[in-house]
Amino acid sequence: MSTGEAVTFWILVWPALVGAIGMVLARNAIHSALWLVLTMLSIGVFYVLQSAPFIGMAQIIVYTGAIMMLFLFVLMLVGRDASDSLIETLRGQRVAAVLLGIGFAAMVGTGVYRAMDNVTPAGLEQANAQGNVEGIARLLFTKYVFAFEVTSALLITAAVGAMVLAHKERRKGEKRGQPETMRARFYPGNYPGPKPGPGVYATSDSVATPGRLPDGTLTDRSISKILPVRELTSSESAPKGTEK
Amino acid sequence: MRPVIPYVTAALLFGLGVYGVLRRRNAVLVLMSVELMLNAVNLILITADTTVRAALPQTGQVFALFVIVIAAAEVGVGLAIVLQLYRLRATVAVDDVPLEKVDA
Amino acid sequence: MEDLSLPKIDYAAVAPMLILFGVACVGVLFEGVLPKAARRVTQLVLALLGLVAALSVIVWQSDTRVLTAGGAVAIDGPTLFLQGAIIVLGIMALLLIGDRAMEHGGAFVAQAAITVGSEADRKQAVKEQGATEVYPLTVFAIAGMLLFVAANDLLTMFVALEVFSLPLYLLCALARRRRLLSQEAALKYFLLGAYASAFFLFGVALVYGFAGGVEFGTIHDSVTESTQSTVLLYAGLAMIAIGLLFKAAAAPFHVWTPDVYQGAPTPITGLMAACTKVAAFGGLLRVLYVGFDGVAWDYTPILGVVAVLTMLIGAVLAVTQTDIKRLLAYSSIANAGYLLVGVLALSKDGLSSTMFYLVAYGFTVIAAFGVVTLVRDADGEATHLSRWAGLGRRSPLYAGIFTFILLAFAGIPLTSGFIAKFAVFGAALDSGEAWLVVFGVVTSMLLAFPYLRVVVMMWLSEPGESTPTVSIPGGLTAAALVIGVVATLVLGVAPAPLLDLTTSAADFVR
Repeated sequence: MSTGEAVTFWILVWPALVGAIGMVLARNAIHSALWLVLTMLSIGVFYVLQSAPFIGMAQIIVYTGAIMMLFLFVLMLVGRDASDSLIETLRGQRVAAVLLGIGFAAMVGTGVYRAMDNVTPAGLEQANAQGNVEGIARLLFTKYVFAFEVTSALLITAAVGAMVLAHKERRKGEKRGQPETMRARFYPGNYPGPKPGPGVYATSDSVATPGRLPDGTLTDRSISKILPVRELTSSESAPKGTEK
Repeated sequence: MRPVIPYVTAALLFGLGVYGVLRRRNAVLVLMSVELMLNAVNLILITADTTVRAALPQTGQVFALFVIVIAAAEVGVGLAIVLQLYRLRATVAVDDVPLEKVDA
Repeated sequence: MEDLSLPKIDYAAVAPMLILFGVACVGVLFEGVLPKAARRVTQLVLALLGLVAALSVIVWQSDTRVLTAGGAVAIDGPTLFLQGAIIVLGIMALLLIGDRAMEHGGAFVAQAAITVGSEADRKQAVKEQGATEVYPLTVFAIAGMLLFVAANDLLTMFVALEVFSLPLYLLCALARRRRLLSQEAALKYFLLGAYASAFFLFGVALVYGFAGGVEFGTIHDSVTESTQSTVLLYAGLAMIAIGLLFKAAAAPFHVWTPDVYQGAPTPITGLMAACTKVAAFGGLLRVLYVGFDGVAWDYTPILGVVAVLTMLIGAVLAVTQTDIKRLLAYSSIANAGYLLVGVLALSKDGLSSTMFYLVAYGFTVIAAFGVVTLVRDADGEATHLSRWAGLGRRSPLYAGIFTFILLAFAGIPLTSGFIAKFAVFGAALDSGEAWLVVFGVVTSMLLAFPYLRVVVMMWLSEPGESTPTVSIPGGLTAAALVIGVVATLVLGVAPAPLLDLTTSAADFVR
């Protein structure tokens, strides 16, 4: 390998590791997923450097592009409550996790370092002489053809499984028609009209400012439910100079 | 460049994944930590391709391809299970029960 | 680039797997095209026919010894024997899965997406027929297990591992009663299973870095010849073993077992306890005997400690259980320990006795879970042990059957449990692993205590108001029970034919 490749390696090791650390430590689930994307992208470049351009692209397109987006999609569906509290529920869990995880990394890391320290890369130039994709195809469709075909069973299982767990049949009677929808809308306790808009005034246009009803009182209804939870400071959440 | 760098990186990434699985309480994040571990595996597989003088030199790359496919299937099933649990828990706790009363 | 040609595939030898994969795919299609009322019978008949057809092919092919599909699949004595065992046990489990006589609509929920505890859920619990997707999923799982015991390289083995695990994760989530428990079980099983397969994969990657190939033959050669540093080899083997021992429910990788066995629908618990165990030990045997036999001296002590730990944890914790499904789960953990003793004999006898044990245990454990499905009250199965008190007065026949099963677990003579334990301990003694046998015998005696406690409770206490009724089993469950009990008895009284069969089958091809 040339020096340029070695330098790229040394540069990319850090984002890969920082991404992984960020992933396991970030409080917010979405941030966690994005840190993992960083790691995966760096690893994808590693693959390309190591004469595996096809897997590098698959890593970026399938892993980062599809699988991680699926994760983000689910996190968004589950909602912002998905952020993880790091409060210990099991006593000693943190210590055990640190011991097992970091200890494992240190042990295997040093072991592998000793084992591989003097190994030089054999290089894949000969193997790749006929093309990287062709080389993979040659193995995939000869030696591992049985496993390759069996993988389809896995994909069918995944599709059937997702459907079994998520699909709900609606009967005729269960569908809510227009009259029922109307009745529910004007049911006592429900508010049938549109919600008031946020308070936009000459002195403030924050969405955190409560709107004013026709009778002059302030209303909480105009504020998105998420805002007070987002830990606004008291000055932020206070009405902004709209009192006369 | 020596192959020891990606090897050690992979071991560290795997260890961080192990830590993440044990430490995280959110099921989606646990699953993400498992994905980190699988990435570490792929990194070793690809690196091993360049270090071993194998009879079939691209076995590691083919294996990595399989890992990616299987991870996709596994994540599909896993997220279905996780989502269902979330939905049941959330709806049972917050808004499903009163709705039933309104209907009745 | 030269033309690629498909490697030679011995289609007759791999036919059992192809039949089952085909049957499962047809089953999925039937879900789409058949009217709802016709599905259950069609699916059940289709799955049973497929399994019987696969079994007949295995019997017909019983002399085949080949490496096929480019060396990825090994059809040899142990493969054929274990595949046959998985199919027979799978048929029994399928009979339990298909039965709808004890509970309207069967043991499975109709629509898993409906919110637990809602009006619609209460309605579907009493009225609707269970989901019929469980049949193709079960067949997929069994087909994956067949491939798992036949895989001759780690890649195929990993693919097969996932093929049989994913349907099991899903099936765990589909119980009709106690659905939250069932879904928690599925989540736990899935997360820990994914964690364990990541370890398995990391081990495979390290071994590939050591050996330069993932075929067991290549690994065997480089284990004996390579002059490289062995760190990668040992670390890799350890992690592959973690992945396999997880599936086999050996300590300390057993923690999922009680929760999952308790939460899953009981027929599925039976499938996991019998078939998954056969598959996991089949894979472990091939890895240790074919791939890594060159380092047998190094791994035997470590796996020995695992075996002792497994037996101890299973036996000691079984004593404290108050739920019959959890008790059977801990008993299954302890049995994994006895099986490991057989595996560690590392001889032809060890191989044949382990295979015998797997079959004997499988028959008994499915029958045990079959009885568990019968003891029920208005809320479904009554699994708390206190509820089983006085069952002997209420239903002497089923209490008698269960007593016989528990005695077989305890290893009383004239049951298959005795012969099986005798065989594995004998093989281990011959190989000089006396310390394992000592622990095995001690824990067997310890484990007899919880079994006998259940027996005493069933027969010697008066039935109270809370003693549940024993349902009359439907024809399918009755058939499974009869097969299980008769097999337990026959293998206990006249084990010679099966022992001969295991001995003649106990040769791996490499």
